[in-house]
Amino acid sequence: MSEKQKESFKKPRVLVAMSGGVDSSVAAALLVDQGYDVIGATMQVWDYSSCDIEEGNGTCCSSLDVDDARSVAEKLGIPFYVINCEEKFKESVIDPFVKGYLAGETPLPCVNCNTYLKFDHLIRKMKELDCEYLATGHYAQITETEKGRLGILTSADSWKDQTYFLFTIPETLVPHLKFPIGHLNKTEVRKIAEEKGLTVAKKKDSQGICFVGNQGYGNFIASQVSSQILKTKEGVFKRFPEGTVMGKHEGIHLYTYGQSKGLGLTFHEKLFVLKIDPNDNTVWLGEESYLYQNEVYVENLHFIDEIGEGELFDVKVRYSQKGSPAHIFKNGDGYKLKFIEPQRAITPGQAAVLYRNRQLVGGGWIR
Amino acid sequence: MKKIYFDNNATTPLYPDLSPVAMECLSLWGNPSSVHWAGQQVKGRLREARQNFAQFVGAHSLEVIFTSGGSESNSIIISLYQKIAQAQILGLKHDLQLMSGDLSLFHGRSEFITTTVEHPSIKRSFEYLETQGYTVHWIKVDREGQFDWSHFCSVLSEKTLLVSVMAANNETGVILPLAKITKLAHEKGAFVHSDCVQALGKMELDLQSLEVDYASFSAHKFYALKGVGALYVKKGSPFHPLIWGGGQERHRRGGTENTLGICLMGKMAQNYLNKDLYNEKLSQVEVLRNYFEAEILRIIPNVEINHQNALRLGNTSSVILSDVEGEALLMALDVQGMAVSTGSACSSGASQPSATLRSFGLSHQEARSTLRVSFGWLNTIEEVDLFLRTLSEVVIRLRKLVIPSTLSKRDSKQPGEMKTSIGFYENGVKSEGGVNV
Repeated sequence: MSEKQKESFKKPRVLVAMSGGVDSSVAAALLVDQGYDVIGATMQVWDYSSCDIEEGNGTCCSSLDVDDARSVAEKLGIPFYVINCEEKFKESVIDPFVKGYLAGETPLPCVNCNTYLKFDHLIRKMKELDCEYLATGHYAQITETEKGRLGILTSADSWKDQTYFLFTIPETLVPHLKFPIGHLNKTEVRKIAEEKGLTVAKKKDSQGICFVGNQGYGNFIASQVSSQILKTKEGVFKRFPEGTVMGKHEGIHLYTYGQSKGLGLTFHEKLFVLKIDPNDNTVWLGEESYLYQNEVYVENLHFIDEIGEGELFDVKVRYSQKGSPAHIFKNGDGYKLKFIEPQRAITPGQAAVLYRNRQLVGGGWIR
Repeated sequence: MKKIYFDNNATTPLYPDLSPVAMECLSLWGNPSSVHWAGQQVKGRLREARQNFAQFVGAHSLEVIFTSGGSESNSIIISLYQKIAQAQILGLKHDLQLMSGDLSLFHGRSEFITTTVEHPSIKRSFEYLETQGYTVHWIKVDREGQFDWSHFCSVLSEKTLLVSVMAANNETGVILPLAKITKLAHEKGAFVHSDCVQALGKMELDLQSLEVDYASFSAHKFYALKGVGALYVKKGSPFHPLIWGGGQERHRRGGTENTLGICLMGKMAQNYLNKDLYNEKLSQVEVLRNYFEAEILRIIPNVEINHQNALRLGNTSSVILSDVEGEALLMALDVQGMAVSTGSACSSGASQPSATLRSFGLSHQEARSTLRVSFGWLNTIEEVDLFLRTLSEVVIRLRKLVIPSTLSKRDSKQPGEMKTSIGFYENGVKSEGGVNV
């Protein structure tokens, strides 16, 4: 077969987002095996040279990670580009993250990264490089829905499933996406990496939030915000429902709903963070039973598939949770979810994500 | 896939003629400082290389110091003059022992003059000097390629210690009026250094007639190897080493010589000592560049050539392609096997467009849309034709894509509607991504 004939038999071009981790590396490798014309790219989101964080400290997309991604690309024989997105990442991921915590919420930066970077900025790069598809190493699958359209399904590895973070992907984008490892579990992915001799086969997964790493988000926020502003987030603990003041705290951004450890209080009962009020910086504490509620108000919903009023869905209100059935109703500008079982510690800033038979239908923000 | 290299200002390949010479030099592995046969067999080659290189640039052998490249050569001079300026400011007259030149030459002088369009190894060095409290004047070069004479003359004085001006700019190829700058500087008693890295192999260069006191060179811009270059120090000019060592380069630059690099650099110079031969090569490249520019202006709309009417290197073409992002163009061309650059190699991968282009007067957007095409002695007209075809296809395609100028925030007024910042062309009709509920 001549070079030209080989060229015309090649499958379409795919841009693969490579983080330097084992998942996206194997995703790229599988696409190469399947005969796609693969281009690898890493998003440079954070200028590590300017901060004291030691490389390899649980973070992701550091310069070491870029090198890992590059070496995998070289091994696979595919072109590799570093796409600088520092500014955009700061604007759309880091700043809202900090603002969210300062407003007493527990934000989900991964969703913003997906919304504005992976499935926006990279889509633009995909088109600029004349690629038909964008692929990532997410644990998710593309599936054909009953209506014959394409949708997103949870991954085969239910423990690793990442569809919770993908609810902002617009429906029109789905036909352009590929999730090459979504049908595998983590062990199988690592095995493939080893078989292919990829240097990242034994690399540890990045834990938690990629730009925070092991230092903890409290320390991260302190590095991003002046101590003057942090001081304005100080306040008191109050006992619910009596309203008795129980002590002082050093900032509402240090607490999250449902938290019971690390409150800095000694009390004979186990107390939980029930609510964080950003208006007066009060952190309300109380018994665990108060953490449970059946109704959630959700706004800014995005739908990848259609829904019906009152329809019953499997809903996740946090990443590390199995879905729980709830009915959805229109409510003013947003929606109300009525759970059949009471849900624990529903947290503003997190997302409520809807599933229908493991298919990602949509999601919105909990306020 | 045919690979085309049009980024000769970043670096050049080893000239094909030099390959056999390289193999030969690899067998001459002795340390030139050694007394025995291993050292001596290479010592002669070094001397030859020095003579040839010196002759090529219009200097004397004793005026050439081999270094690790342009950045080192630049750093040697700036750090030397920083020490001199410091001695002047602090009145430490006897502290600095110069190898030549008299400290009395510098009485009362501690100021520096340079341009805003220098290579980072000059620019960052002078920026550092500023943080240390030294006075540095930055002279601009405008959009037409004109050096700001009035500013230069207003800051040039008896306080000026050193003027450092590049011979030719790496990003647009504009040639600076070095001879006249040198003359004026000398009239005021200041010393002159020139970063001649881009000039070597791209224009006529005669240090003797230019009369500069110091000049920096780099081998890898002239079809030889990376990691080696030279510093010209005019006889009698003040000098002090940066790198101390075993007395190499007549005690002016320590460290065992990069014999392979030096020999190849010298050989390239030797092959083109005949100025007619050299000028022929320069003309050939200029023909390619001029053809490229005539064609690109003809076939692609909304294109502007930076410094088109200024005195320029004959190989460089800096082109503004409106409504296209240089970075995207670069990658899309690379996927097709074509190598060019935006800004200069040293600043690529950065999120900011070239500060040098901005300094010439380009807007942020124009700088981001600039492509640098730099032709070399190994390029052909067929390559230019192929490149033009591919370039115009890519530009047309990129211009069709919607380019958001600001971050599109999710400020949904209607429930369930999300705007993405990129439009899609489906069945020829553009639609916004997202689903309405």
